[in-house]
Amino acid sequence: MQRFEGQVQLVFYPFALNPTSEVATQAAWCAGEQGKFWEFHHMLYRRQELWNRLAAPLERLSDFAKDLTLDTAALKSCVESGRMQDRMQADKAYGQQLQVSSTPTMFINDYRIVGTQSEGELVRLIRQELNRAQPQGQ
Amino acid sequence: MAKKSKAPGQRLSSRQQSSQKPLTPRRWRLKLVIGGAVLAVALGVGGLVRFLQQRDLAPRLQGTGDKHYTRGTAGAPVVIKEFSDYT
Repeated sequence: MQRFEGQVQLVFYPFALNPTSEVATQAAWCAGEQGKFWEFHHMLYRRQELWNRLAAPLERLSDFAKDLTLDTAALKSCVESGRMQDRMQADKAYGQQLQVSSTPTMFINDYRIVGTQSEGELVRLIRQELNRAQPQGQ
Repeated sequence: MAKKSKAPGQRLSSRQQSSQKPLTPRRWRLKLVIGGAVLAVALGVGGLVRFLQQRDLAPRLQGTGDKHYTRGTAGAPVVIKEFSDYT
């Protein structure tokens, strides 16, 4: 992203494929309410093995939240209230509308990429799109 | 002297051979043409479906909800939409 400062915007859509992931998605948004969405998001990936097989991961995720100095009680009650459900379902519906059936799926402008790509490949595709959007000499 | 009658399994005369020989390549050619046409139609249909999907995709991709976490510059020429599962 830093390499393409001012030229690229990333929009993240959590696409929960199972109940454990749904809790994590809602927890991330609840962390976002406290201004730490990206920090929580990165932590979910970094510590993935510690929680992704738990049927009820909220306790563990709350422990992680503590490390980010989040208000864990507020985070838990936010998830338990279910007020992020609609948002999560809306994103899921949007993904389904775009025929997203597996993750990760990315769209670089209109170009669909399914599966994990190397950094080099992503850079190449971004450059390709930039060239299309801003032809040389303009 | 009576002419020899041809046994059923006897070789064909050179005239008969010359009249039948081109049939095989012609049949093959026909098969190739039909096969090629079927392939072209299949590729055409596949391409058309892909095109329609992509054409359809563009307007749907513009429908971004505004409640999303983003990085980078708003209004940038390249927008990456990432759909990921945390598990």
